[in-house]
This record gives sequence, C-alpha cells and structure tokens, in this order.
Amino acid sequence: MEYVVGIILLLSFFGLAYYCIKGHNLMIGFLVITILWTVLPLLGTVFASASFIEANPILQYEGSKGLIKILNSIYQSAPEGWGTTLVNVCWGAWFGRVLMDTGIASTLIRKTVELGGDKPMVTIALLNIVTALIFTAMTGAGPVIAIGVIVLPILMSLGVPKAIAMFSFMGSVAAGIYLNPVNFAQYRAFFIQPDEMPDFTLGWYAAHWGYAALLIMLIATTVLAAIYLKKSKTSHAWAAQSRSGASEQRNAPIYTLILPIVPVVLKIWLDFSVIGGFVIAGFLALFLCGRMKGTFKENCQLVNKLYYDGVVDTAPLVGFLLTLPMFNSVASYASPYFKVILGGVMPKNELVVCIVFAVLLCMGLFRGPMTLVGCGAATLGVLSNVASFSVPFLYAVFAIPTITVNIGSCITQSWVAWGLAYTKVESKDFLKLSIPNAYLTGVLQYVAAFILLGGLGAAWFI
Amino acid sequence: MTKQELQKALEPIAQGLFGKQGIRRYERPHFPLRSLETMLKDLTEIPQEEWFAYVFSREPLNGKFQDDQRRRWMEQSIACGREYGRRICQEYSLSTPSELAKAMGMKVTYPTYPEKTDRVLFAEFREPDDIRIYMDGVKKAKKFLERPEISSILGKLEVSELLLAHELFHYVEEKYKKEIYTRREKIRLWSLGPLHNDSTIIALSEIAAMAFARELVKLPYAPYVMDVFLVYGYSPEEASGLYEEMMEFAGRTPCAPEERKDVE
Ligand SMILES: [Zn+2]
Repeated sequence: MEYVVGIILLLSFFGLAYYCIKGHNLMIGFLVITILWTVLPLLGTVFASASFIEANPILQYEGSKGLIKILNSIYQSAPEGWGTTLVNVCWGAWFGRVLMDTGIASTLIRKTVELGGDKPMVTIALLNIVTALIFTAMTGAGPVIAIGVIVLPILMSLGVPKAIAMFSFMGSVAAGIYLNPVNFAQYRAFFIQPDEMPDFTLGWYAAHWGYAALLIMLIATTVLAAIYLKKSKTSHAWAAQSRSGASEQRNAPIYTLILPIVPVVLKIWLDFSVIGGFVIAGFLALFLCGRMKGTFKENCQLVNKLYYDGVVDTAPLVGFLLTLPMFNSVASYASPYFKVILGGVMPKNELVVCIVFAVLLCMGLFRGPMTLVGCGAATLGVLSNVASFSVPFLYAVFAIPTITVNIGSCITQSWVAWGLAYTKVESKDFLKLSIPNAYLTGVLQYVAAFILLGGLGAAWFI
Repeated sequence: MTKQELQKALEPIAQGLFGKQGIRRYERPHFPLRSLETMLKDLTEIPQEEWFAYVFSREPLNGKFQDDQRRRWMEQSIACGREYGRRICQEYSLSTPSELAKAMGMKVTYPTYPEKTDRVLFAEFREPDDIRIYMDGVKKAKKFLERPEISSILGKLEVSELLLAHELFHYVEEKYKKEIYTRREKIRLWSLGPLHNDSTIIALSEIAAMAFARELVKLPYAPYVMDVFLVYGYSPEEASGLYEEMMEFAGRTPCAPEERKDVE
C-alpha cells in the first residue's frame, strides 16, 4: 500500500512543478500541496504494511492526541518558527529604503561611473562590483528597481546594448545576494530551525563557500558581459526618461558610502546581530546625510514611512514564505513513502549530487523543481529525507539554482520582469545571455561547493 | 442561475488559484496634468543654448562639471552639429534626412513597438549602419499634429525625419571620429602616476546630434521639445513631469496645472 501512496505523492510533485512553471500563484499552490501531503501520508498509515510503519517512527502516532500534535506542528509551529526570518526580511527592507532615500546608493553608483567614464567595459566591471556590494545589504524588488533606474540608463548611454546592460546588472545583483544576511537567514530556514546548528552562521558560510560563490558569479558575469560586448555593436538611442524622484539627485557625503556594507561586515566579522547592524547603519545614514534635521515628529514620520515602503516591497514574498514552512515540515511525513519509491535512484553521494544538479541547472528556471523559491522546496523535502547530506553542503546545492539561476537569470524573478519592461529587451534576448551565464557560474559554483563543503564532519548533520 | 452567470461567479476563485503570479509594478511619482498646447508653447520659446542643464542632467559624468563649463560645451557642440549638418548636405547635395540616409547606405527600419514605461524610446542607431525609428510614438504624434492649435506651434514637422536626422549624426560622428569636436574634447577622470583615464563626454554627442538634426530639417526651435511631445502620447502625466523638469532646468517657471476636465 505504501507504494500506491508513494506514487500518488510523486505524481502530485510533478503536478506542483507544472503548476509553478505555468506561473500560477505560489502561495496557494503550496497550501494545496501541503494539505494533500498531510492527508495522504497520515491516511496511508492505516493501510500500510506493519514493517513499513515500524521502520519509520515519524509515522507512529498514538490516537487522536498524537494526530493533533502532528497537525499542530505542521500548521502552527512551523510558520511560527519562520517568524524570526520574517523579522529580518522586514528590517532589511527598511535599511534598503534608507540607503535609497539618503541618496547613498545613487551617489555610490555615480561616483563609480565617474571612475570609468566612456569606456564601457571598465564602467561595467566597476558597476558590477559596486552593485554586488550594495546587494549584500539590500534585497527586494524596490531597491533593485531604484538602483536599476540609475545604472541601466547610464550603461545604455555609454552605448552598451540594452540586453547586455540588463544581463550584467541582474547578474551582479544576484552575486551580491550570495552574502546577503537576510537571504541567508531565509534560505537557511528551509534546511533547519533557526535555533538549530548555531555554528552554521553567515560568517562560517561566507568563509567556507559564500565569498567563493559571490566572486564566481561576479567574475563570470563580467567576463561574459565583456565577451558579449566585444561581439555586439555599440548603439545610441534617443529616449526620454522622466525623473524618478528627488532622492536620485541627492548627494551623500563620501564617508557615508561605506555604510551599505556595515551590517554584513559586522555580521560576518563579529557575528553581530543583523537587525542591530541594520538599525545602527540605517540611523547613522539618516543622521550623517542630514535626513534627520526636521522636528522630532517629522523625523519619526520619515523613519515610519521608510519602514512602511520597505515592508510593502517585501509583501508579495511574505505570503509565500508563510505557507512554505508548513510544506517544509509536512515533507518529512511524506518522505518515508518517497524513500520506498525513490530510495534506489536518489543520489546519495556528494559528487553525484553536484553533477546531477549541475546538469539540471536549467530546471531552476521558471520556478521549476530546483529553485527554493519555487517547486525546489519540494525537491529539497524529498532529497533531504531520503538521503543524508550535511546541512552546509545541501544549502549550497540548492542556493545555486535559487540565486544564480532563478534570481539572477530567470524572467519570472519580479525585478527581472521589471527590467525587461523598462529596457524593452525581449525575454528571449535576455535568456540568450543569461542561460549561458547560469551554466558557467553554476557549474563553477558546484565545483567550489564540492571542494569546499564536501565531506564535512558529523557535527554538520541533523 | 445560467451557466454564464455561474462561470462569472466562479471566475475570481479560479483566478485566485490559477491566475498568473502578479508582478507588482512600482509606483511612479504623480504629476499634475497640463495641456499639450501650453507646454509646447513654453518649451519652443527656450533658446537652444539654454537647454544645457536639462541635457547634462542625463550625462553620467555630470557630477564633475560646473555650470560655466557645461554652457561652453553646449555652445561648442551646437556649433559642431550645425557645421557638420551643412557639410553633409553640401557633400551629398541632398537635404532631407531620408535621402541622405539612402545616399549614405544606411539600413533604416521603422518598427512599431508599443511603449509603456517611464523610458520611452524614440529611435536608435546601431553601428555600423543600422537605424531604427520607433513608429508607435511617431504615429501618436501625427494625430496631435492634425490639431490646428498644435500645428500652429510646431509648424511643418515630420517627426520621423527629425528622429532619423538625429541618428544620422551618430553615423557621421563615427565616420569622422578622429577629427570631430565631440570626440576630441575629453576630460581627465583620474590620474595615478603614469596611469590616467581620459573620457569623452557623451552629452556633447547628443547636443551636436540635436543641432545637426535641427539644421537638416530646418526646425525653428530646439528638438528637445520632442521629448515632451512624444511622451505625451503615452502618458500626459509623465509628459507634464518632464515639462516641469525642463522648465526648472531652463530657469523658468512651469505654467500652472490645468483643471482635469479639458485634458485628454
Ligand atoms: Zn543620440
């Protein structure tokens, strides 16, 4: 009987993958699948063979009390546990808004361009570095758009074809996200509870793989941009751009330009609180840039408005993030059935996992079964329960399709979709540039993951 | 309840479950509306030299310049564009941009590509000889030109010819890049011992391209007016914002916004 349940579960997994790829609502999709994956495995225990139940203690529960306990852990404890992550997301969004409002982000971009001048390749390389640095601290569609409306017109006015400008900018944003503490906390929660494995910090992760992942993506993107640029023809456009806001024109003092990386540096170096870092750097920015010169009431209103705008930036993600933990915890109940079906074919060796995932990188596109912010959450649920890998290794294995492929190269990413409309680049023209990068970067990152994170000791397993 | 009614009632539910993942558009600042006529009247009165602040506001290196420098560059680039306009017309003994483009062997295409964002693309030149004039905006502009109050301000105007003339300059500039002023004028961005980075100023090419275009189509006002005119077809609000910005850059006061009702 467990085979029948296993097969139905597997079919529903493919159904979910199809649903995600078609671009339907992720929050609802995961909610439905969570309910299905609760009902089937628990109902299955009634019909399954005794030896199967005996081998899987997770499926042994005592009467209605035990059942309710399981249901509570899925529908209450799991989303609550995600609360810690959510708070980080909100504060990160606030900090992003502060950097934009004070003009720090735009000044940083302008100063960078003033070093490169009319040499497109030099300017692209410098801008990529600065963009990646900025997005170690900022995330979300709001900040990407705010920086994009500065960077993209500059690149286009230098004669860089718009598709290359788009590709290079989006790739650098994704590179920065590899060290972003908010994204780290968010993805980490897919693998373990926030209080589990306290040694798996951003600092540890950065030193062991994060820096390498960022550098690989940054360098690969820049090198590819150079190659594309060599092959392409310079273009000049006559276009009208309306101004997008006063903050873009604001000049921040030079010494404040260091503030964007302060929270990340504090976190990596001292394992200092991320939110603490956001608060310190955020208020420093507001004061040093003269944004707090009003009355007390006006200042409060400004801080409040920035917080509001920041949270609105993240809103579309939040609903999805709050249903996902239910799914993550339900996956462990479904896993014994998957093990029956897939136990023989699932890769158990780290090298094999790296190779298989590297080959299947394209399935991280269109919210497919490899990306954590898509159907990949289900793949992780299956993989982590049928085979045993260390948490940092598994993190890297899934971070690559999520960040490099989905966030950096896919048109389903909200800000990439915005960029396509803004620059009027055709989807296929963007994908023609971004998919080679997804593979080049992704494969190198898997090599790095295998070398740097392979064969970790027992302390890194759960 | 008929079948259709039932379908309609169930639609929101189906949309919620299977509707596309909504992508949140970010909100642009709002600007009060103004009539096209008043805006064009005000803008056509600004002499070409006085557009420098607006032009340089789109220049990536603008933060490094002072106003007197911007003004000087503006004058010299205008002179450069005019001179090359005359020279090219003489060289080919032709005067309309489309004839010139043909004689120069350019590949000109007129795609219609709908625009909808805050960056409206009018025309493009790709090296070595590819020019695209985006017709969507041009067609909208033509409609406005049929109105007597608009055509009395803008005069006889072929928008696509004007756009083509601008893009032709980029070709001419490339051809004479060794000697042309807009490419020879450079600024030193930084130097470190023997290392240094000298850069041309992109705004100069654009200024000269506008002066060149104006010379070719004999326009009685500065071509920057087109920015507002062409954007108006897409969004009267964005056009009004652009107008406000242009007037402020030229040191003039924007006219008062209109009451909503008589603006289309
Ligand atoms: Zn131009």
